[in-house]
Amino acid sequence: MLPDVLIENLGYLLRGAVMTVGLASATIVPSAVVGMVLALAKIFSGITLRTLVEVYLYVVRGVPLLVLLFFMYFALPYTGIDLPPLFGGVLVMSLYFGAFMAEIFRAAILSLPRAQWDAARSLGMRRWLIFRIVIYPQVFRLAAPPFVNTCVLLVKSTSLVSIIGLWELTLAGREVAERTFAPLQIFGGVALIYFALCYALSRYGLYLEERMRFAH
Amino acid sequence: MPQHWILARYLPVFLEGAIVTVELAVSAIAIVIIWGLVVAAARLSRWRSLALLAGGYIQLMRNTPLLVQIYFIYFGFAMAGFALSGFGSGLLALCLQNGAYAAEIYRGGLQSLSVKQIEGGRALGMTPWLTFRIVVLPQAVARVVPALGNQFVLILKDTSIVSAIAVGELTHVGKLLSERTAATYEIFFVLAAFYLIMTSIVTTLVRLYERRVWYLL
Repeated sequence: MLPDVLIENLGYLLRGAVMTVGLASATIVPSAVVGMVLALAKIFSGITLRTLVEVYLYVVRGVPLLVLLFFMYFALPYTGIDLPPLFGGVLVMSLYFGAFMAEIFRAAILSLPRAQWDAARSLGMRRWLIFRIVIYPQVFRLAAPPFVNTCVLLVKSTSLVSIIGLWELTLAGREVAERTFAPLQIFGGVALIYFALCYALSRYGLYLEERMRFAH
Repeated sequence: MPQHWILARYLPVFLEGAIVTVELAVSAIAIVIIWGLVVAAARLSRWRSLALLAGGYIQLMRNTPLLVQIYFIYFGFAMAGFALSGFGSGLLALCLQNGAYAAEIYRGGLQSLSVKQIEGGRALGMTPWLTFRIVVLPQAVARVVPALGNQFVLILKDTSIVSAIAVGELTHVGKLLSERTAATYEIFFVLAAFYLIMTSIVTTLVRLYERRVWYLL
């Protein structure tokens, strides 16, 4: 059913897909950490830190990921910070998606009733302790569906690092398409591989959403 | 040495790129508003096959990267004897992908309204059309516009990806200038500032609208 040219090169593309999955996994964890830290800073910190976080979120949300990747790749070396593309790509994507995760975590933290804080406070717990054993376990459950949906965007966005020359599924597709002169079949195949990855994630997000509706 | 003169000298070039970006974004947004409605109508249609087709389209578009869609259209269509310009390919990909997101926003806006409101309107003796016009539509619009506005910001940012097929928009201009002038730092700050200004305009408009319709949300 698949065109021959795609079947012949499927192994190569799948190796690219493994790289894409690796890139995405390497980005998801740090971006969640960045997001959580930013969310906490936005809710609990003083005016100075909060303003800094607001500025950071504003800039990162207003500038395209590709421009940030170019900045890391072309401009930073001029100041002597010469990051290897793989590390730099993961770093920029983590900082970028961290800004989106921050909003998700913030909404989840604020959606918990204030009474929980008050109750824990009246039991003599400190703020950090309340966060750790009362709030934090619920936040991840509440934030899970939008978190997974953002992860779908993240997997799709890993394709952008191919533009700065990082080898993953999209760049593998470009190489094969240029070699075989069959861009329609090859990019169709590449799109299908992405679809398989992202659709599975989307379904998981949907499942979490359903379960959430059942719990409430 | 800071090279401020570079900014003054190349500002017209940046502006040219910004115009292409705005052209791309505005045409994409205009088409997406309508195309999203069409897809949402198909998705909610009573014909099962049409609804399934629209559902499949939405899933396919939302779960594949824009860059791959752009390559598919730009390189693939040309090979199939149906060549599109870089601008046309980028625009088509932007519309196809964001039309799917817009359709889901429309659907969410309509379905977030309680059926009881429609029943209430009908019980007061209003015709279905009147109920839709004065009960459903104003609330649906008020709920849909902020979400659409966020999508427009994403469209604006996603136009940068079209630089990958050498369309002379803002990001492409910035990259070329940074290669030519070696004032990479300055160039990228200006580039980021241009995007920030453009996205801020859209965000501010959405905020103003939200403030005006708060009682409908």
